[in-house]
Amino acid sequence: MSDAPNSDNKPANGTSKRASRMVKVWDIPTRAFHWSLVSMVFIGILTGYIAPEWWMGMHVWAGYITVTLLVFRLVWGVFGSEYARLETFAFGPMHILTHMKEIITLRPVRHYIGHNPSGAAMIFGLLIVLIIITISGLLVLGGEENQGALAGVASYAIGDMAAEVHAFFVFALMAMIVMHVGGVILEGRLTGENLVHSMITGLKKVPQGTPPLAHRRARPLYAALVTGLFFSGAALGLENLAKIPPSGLVQLPANAAYESECGDCHGVFHPSLLPIASWQGMMQSLEDHFGEDASLDDDSVNEITAYLTQFGGENWDTEASNRFAILDPAKPYSIIATPYWVRKHDEIKPEVFKRRGIGVKSNCGACHTDHYSGRFDDQKINIPEEKKK
Amino acid sequence: MNFSKTSIKTVALALVLSAFAATSAEAGPREDIIAKFQAQAEAPANPANGEQMYNATYGTGKPDTPKCTTCHGATPQQGGETRTAKLIDPMAVSKTPDRFTDAKKVDKWFRRNCTGVIGRECTAQEKVDFLTFLAGQ
Ligand code: HEC
Ligand code: HEC
Ligand code: HEC
Repeated sequence: MSDAPNSDNKPANGTSKRASRMVKVWDIPTRAFHWSLVSMVFIGILTGYIAPEWWMGMHVWAGYITVTLLVFRLVWGVFGSEYARLETFAFGPMHILTHMKEIITLRPVRHYIGHNPSGAAMIFGLLIVLIIITISGLLVLGGEENQGALAGVASYAIGDMAAEVHAFFVFALMAMIVMHVGGVILEGRLTGENLVHSMITGLKKVPQGTPPLAHRRARPLYAALVTGLFFSGAALGLENLAKIPPSGLVQLPANAAYESECGDCHGVFHPSLLPIASWQGMMQSLEDHFGEDASLDDDSVNEITAYLTQFGGENWDTEASNRFAILDPAKPYSIIATPYWVRKHDEIKPEVFKRRGIGVKSNCGACHTDHYSGRFDDQKINIPEEKKK
Repeated sequence: MNFSKTSIKTVALALVLSAFAATSAEAGPREDIIAKFQAQAEAPANPANGEQMYNATYGTGKPDTPKCTTCHGATPQQGGETRTAKLIDPMAVSKTPDRFTDAKKVDKWFRRNCTGVIGRECTAQEKVDFLTFLAGQ
């Protein structure tokens, strides 16, 4: 981190037509932060929209790394070198508006050594939006998927709400990224400066005659101390949060009758996958069970009905129990007929279900290696490959 | 005299007991199940009829399951698969030794599978034919 003496972030008059010199503006941590954040956001968007669900692990990691980066950047905004410090680009609203007007009307703009007012506004906006996205993401993970630090505290309903916030702000983020990149290009045109290049080399052009001004050095030791303190605090908090068992998951005792009688023809279905009324109706019509006779003696019927009533869908607060509660009215006993199941599996080709080791759509355990827990985590999906008979 | 009489009695008792023990060792739960059906059947078990039943196509039960081999293996020595892709061990006792050893299980599946395939419960005669055929496989 060489800190060449140069001017502060006050506007220097004139355009870049005049002779100029290069000064070091962005220190290494700031640049590393910028490009790491770019890659994390890129991975996040890619794994969030395009990649199959079992890449969720990567999406979540991108989120955790983003949080780390954000925390670091805020700390560096206090202890970093001159132009990394938040105070050097905290402009007032009028200042920002004037600058935006200059850009939009394509007038030659004033030159700023650090971030210009519009860029600075964008940075604060991006930081805030990213904080909202990561927090809501953590809530979705805890509420809907029962994973992560908030699994024990976030209910499914909270997770569901957070999912909408998450999606909305990701849209906002993508719009802001477009504006940010557009701004960089426009600003480059107007001032003749290559801002992307600056973010790589750290060097920016300043017009000749800019008076050399005090350039405060970074205080990496303080930064490390505060960052370390923050993360040890966070780790302690997370460890305690992680001790709370995931909310909405019930301790499910084994039931020999259910597992043997209802596991004779197909894998045993987790009791959370259908509402209680469906189980009860099914248990009363076992003579005609999906085109087969699955009848049982009365004792077994009673025992299994009691078990499924005690542990049916309404007793859980998981993604599966909430989603499969909405049935196909024509097939109230079928999981694979529920709108959610159909929607989640409509990209899987019919041949895939016919593979050896899968056979039928209702063979949940063939692809969901955690089906016995009722969790159906994205990361636990593993579609068996075609095997020769 | 008394002594030899007692010893003859003892030997006789021992013989009877050991003979009993020998037969009961042979008659396991499977034999009991078969014997129970035999007692209700009109004629002695005929494995050939059981074999015919194993391979026959009925089509008088539920539409998806016209024959026993819809789910059970094409031959008793082969494994089968339910319509929901769960593997079924071979029905031949030589391949799956614990076949037909649980009376409750045998009754349950005869009830289900006969109504599913044939459209009615099987008779004791059919059951004993079917089981003796597979016990000899
Ligand atoms: C005789 C064989 C048999 C037995 C025994 C049996 N089932 Fe089924 N079950 C089936 C078949 C066949 C289907 C249809 C599967 C399909 O269409 O993919 C089915 C489907 C289901 C489904 C719906 C899957 C879906 O989403 O379409 C549920 C739930 C279910 N069974 C529960 C049970 C329960 C509970 C028991 C125990 C009381 C039981 N089954 C016993 C044969 C059986
Ligand atoms: C052929 C493999 C296969 C079978 C069989 C299968 N699934 Fe899935 N399931 C998938 C895949 C792949 C996804 C992810 C789809 C996506 O990208 O959104 C999925 C997604 C899901 C989800 C959503 C998970 C989440 O967190 O978003 C649930 C719940 C689910 N399946 C339940 C079931 C149940 C219940 C059954 C059995 C009745 C079943 N699945 C059978 C492959 C399968
Ligand atoms: C819809 C599939 C299906 C059809 C069709 C079917 N079975 Fe079965 N059968 C099963 C299953 C599943 C089992 C239990 C699994 C096991 O025992 O390995 C079973 C078990 C049995 C048993 C008990 C085996 C034991 O070890 O006690 C008998 C007896 C039996 N079946 C007879 C028949 C007869 C007779 C037919 C034809 C009339 C028939 N099955 C047709 C699926 C079927």
